[in-house]
Amino acid sequence: MSRSPFRLLLLLAAPAVLGLAACLVPVASARPAAVDKLVADAEAERVAVIQKVSPAVVAVCIHGGQAVGSGVVIDPEGYALTNHHVVQPTGPIMQCGLADGVLYDAVLVGQDKIGDVALVKLLPKQKDKPFPFVQLGDSDKVRIGDWSLAMGNPFSIALDFTPTVTYGLVSGTNRYEPLGSRPGISEYTDCIQVDTSINPGNSGGPLFNAKGELIGINGRINFEKRVRINSGVGYAISINQIKNFLGHFYAGIDTDHASLGASAGSVDDDSDLAKIVVKQILEDSDAYRRGLRDGDQLISFAGRPMTSTNQYKNILGTFPKEWRVPLLFRRENEKKEVLVRLQNITPAEKDQPAGGPMPPMPPRPMGPGGPPPRPDSPAAKLHKPKPGYTNFYFNEIQRDKLLTGAKKHGDFTAGAATWTAEGRYDAGERKGEMRFEVDAGKEVAAVVLRLNIEHRLLPLEQTDPRQQAEPIGSGGLMMALYHYHRFLTTEGKGFEGEFVHGGSEPFYPPPADGGTPKSLAALRVDADVIRTKHGSVTCKWYFAKTDQKLLGLETFISKDTDPCELYLSDYKDAGNGRVLPHRIEARYGDKRYAVLTVSKYTLK
Amino acid sequence: MHIRSGTLVLSVVAAVVSAPARGAAADPFNEVSDKTNSKMVKVFGAGGFSRLNNFGTGIVISPDGHILTVASQLLDTSDLVVHLYDGRRLRAEVMVVEPELDAALLRIRVEGKKPGEPTGLDLPYFDFAEAVKRPAAEPGDWILGFTNQFEIALRDEPLTVQRGVIAARTKLSGRVGVFDFPYTGEVYVVDAITNNPGAAGGALTDRKGNLLGIIGREIKNTQTETGINYAIPVGAKVTITVKVKEKDKEEERTLTLSLPDFVARGMKGEYKPTRRDPAGRPGDGGWSGIVFVPNILSRTPAYVEDVIPGSPAAKAGLRPDDLISFVDGEPIVSITAFQDFLRVRTRPGTTIRVDVRRGEALQTVEMTLGVHPPKPTPVPPPKKP
Repeated sequence: MSRSPFRLLLLLAAPAVLGLAACLVPVASARPAAVDKLVADAEAERVAVIQKVSPAVVAVCIHGGQAVGSGVVIDPEGYALTNHHVVQPTGPIMQCGLADGVLYDAVLVGQDKIGDVALVKLLPKQKDKPFPFVQLGDSDKVRIGDWSLAMGNPFSIALDFTPTVTYGLVSGTNRYEPLGSRPGISEYTDCIQVDTSINPGNSGGPLFNAKGELIGINGRINFEKRVRINSGVGYAISINQIKNFLGHFYAGIDTDHASLGASAGSVDDDSDLAKIVVKQILEDSDAYRRGLRDGDQLISFAGRPMTSTNQYKNILGTFPKEWRVPLLFRRENEKKEVLVRLQNITPAEKDQPAGGPMPPMPPRPMGPGGPPPRPDSPAAKLHKPKPGYTNFYFNEIQRDKLLTGAKKHGDFTAGAATWTAEGRYDAGERKGEMRFEVDAGKEVAAVVLRLNIEHRLLPLEQTDPRQQAEPIGSGGLMMALYHYHRFLTTEGKGFEGEFVHGGSEPFYPPPADGGTPKSLAALRVDADVIRTKHGSVTCKWYFAKTDQKLLGLETFISKDTDPCELYLSDYKDAGNGRVLPHRIEARYGDKRYAVLTVSKYTLK
Repeated sequence: MHIRSGTLVLSVVAAVVSAPARGAAADPFNEVSDKTNSKMVKVFGAGGFSRLNNFGTGIVISPDGHILTVASQLLDTSDLVVHLYDGRRLRAEVMVVEPELDAALLRIRVEGKKPGEPTGLDLPYFDFAEAVKRPAAEPGDWILGFTNQFEIALRDEPLTVQRGVIAARTKLSGRVGVFDFPYTGEVYVVDAITNNPGAAGGALTDRKGNLLGIIGREIKNTQTETGINYAIPVGAKVTITVKVKEKDKEEERTLTLSLPDFVARGMKGEYKPTRRDPAGRPGDGGWSGIVFVPNILSRTPAYVEDVIPGSPAAKAGLRPDDLISFVDGEPIVSITAFQDFLRVRTRPGTTIRVDVRRGEALQTVEMTLGVHPPKPTPVPPPKKP
């Protein structure tokens, strides 16, 4: 069930609308003498909130030119959220005005074209001087009927960048608003609907709750026959969706949205109650490998009950690709909860069949004569283009920051070409002594793993994926150990294919007792990701956001198969202040392969 | 560009005056929104083409599933569906329509229950009779609007809630397309932009969620040519003049119609829509001069194919592609129904009020029927050489 494609307006302030100016309002008669205390207090509170957040509201301008939209600073370093469609006309180098009347140089950092969000960074006028910023709220707690404040620079009214404030109600929550008829090109999922006046130029500006916490980024209004100004229906991208993408933005990634790898929808529009079922599933999708099949009913997805097609699209639209989210489904009388790895929604170029029809490109309006010339701005030094990234300069910064944090737990880069670990293994029915050795000192690197029998892998010589995935059933445990050693000892130099920050993702360490968790969501830990590629093997490394400890890794022997997952815990000193995990759980597919308990590491 | 709405200025003054509503600013509308939403339905019916909406809003006024909405083209279908607040999708049928009040009464149909039988739905509802007893709202009073404008909500998704103040209480002087709007009674004019596509039939309530009126359609103010955001009050009354025939003498009589009466008697199935002209004797019936599309189905919709020049239909301004939707407030489901109506209920000289769907709007025309022209002599078939 989809909604008739009402035209939605992207709220870019064009110079033409400047003419739409104020109208004359008769002077109101004198205020009533006595104002109820409740009202006076509420008003004072509102004024205080506005004063508190105003300094962080941004007017986004083309470098050296016209104000085109709004934004809001979210941390003291001057990172600010806005809409993707606001930074389209500015290009990567822009200027941003704050309520103090100062115009700052700014650079585009990361963006989400489908979700219409962008992160920019303002450059301080004095080095390290903190910027005023606002607190992020929890948009899941926003309720219909709540008060909301929209701020920004509609119609580019304020030449001194003092933000305009409008005040109104939250008219709806969890709204699904596609733009046009092509899904996946640009859609507002799980967004907040307000009757607060939103006009051209408000785009990218903040929507606050009554406490002044940021609950959304204003970006669209609904209109039909009316002129292109406030129609009583405005939409803000919810801040909780933006939080999911924020790690990617900071890492300069040009993010993509996710697909389940299956289409799902209402089984029958005529049924009394909506039932969301899988209609077509790709056999190479993770969802398929997790057991999802055509006709299965989706009960809940990422914790959200599936009561309508819109709700399904809503929740799916809030995640970047490759996130793992819990999915509860039903087949006949059986319910099953699985963790599904979402896949990208935009097909990678190499995935296009040769000679096949190219997908229509998203509209990318350009000024006359192509993109603007690269402005002479200090912000230009902070811009490094790279395919797949909005601004790779920030990826390197975030990556190095993360690695520096991780090094607190031990620096392995000095020597130690050969690692040996001894202990026990537990693979359910089989258990016993365990020993593994990673030897990268010789000309040919080798991994030896002894469980009940001895396995041996020459990771760079043996290129057959079947050999690389040994021991059978592990998905490549030896390869994972080889990469783990390499990751710790080479400091990135050993990954010729790729060594980048991968944004933020949830990580789900399984219960130590091997049992089925009551809820997969309860296992979730927020992690920052490093992505590496060495030879043909890619890995994703998950670091706890709190202390940058390596929680685990996923090793992909080949695309479209399950990775070998290692969960690292029981970190203890392995000599010289270097901390290593003494419990390594290896999983493949939906199963635990083995738990390795290390009693002694030898690093030579 | 100038902001032209006369009501805008009014509302600004009203807002300032009414600001000291007791504790208003400190009191969010969460509960009122939830409670009111549960007494509303999304209505889906005829339309969906030529920018003619096939969705609207309705107000539940009985636990059994009586729904009050506006008398729009949406209802011109046998396949009327409502979505309840909890996501249930149920069929509904039109009980009665009163174009003079721009009001329609629907009833939810539950499978296995005959029309008129209790449905057992036990829905949350607005007590319409109680709402009528409350004093009317005044300019400056805060209001909330609950609508499914732009079809934003489906199934269990809650309706759009908007907030504003009553800008004025005044007689409506509006138009739809080029036609004057049939309802000319009093309305609440509000400063919130409530009357968007699909909003018609929504609820206008006070701050506590008490029903004040039915949110109207998208119409233009005839004085300023701007869109007008209005609602028909629960106590709406209109006075109209009808022709009454007694003992072969026609005389004009003034009638007062009221929304409370329409609802009260309509729910009992006792309300008869008003006709401005007496029904003719059964017999020949009047002649309209409409040429319909080929009547090939058992219920071919009454689409106008052509209009005979100089005929009553031509004088009334009907055009090809118009769809006859209501005649004197009665739904016309097919060409046959229209022809039956004319034959049984009219005679030459009868004036009927025809609601036609043209483009995106339901338009009302009056047509004084004529005498059937003599049957043309059939042209003899050409002789074969």
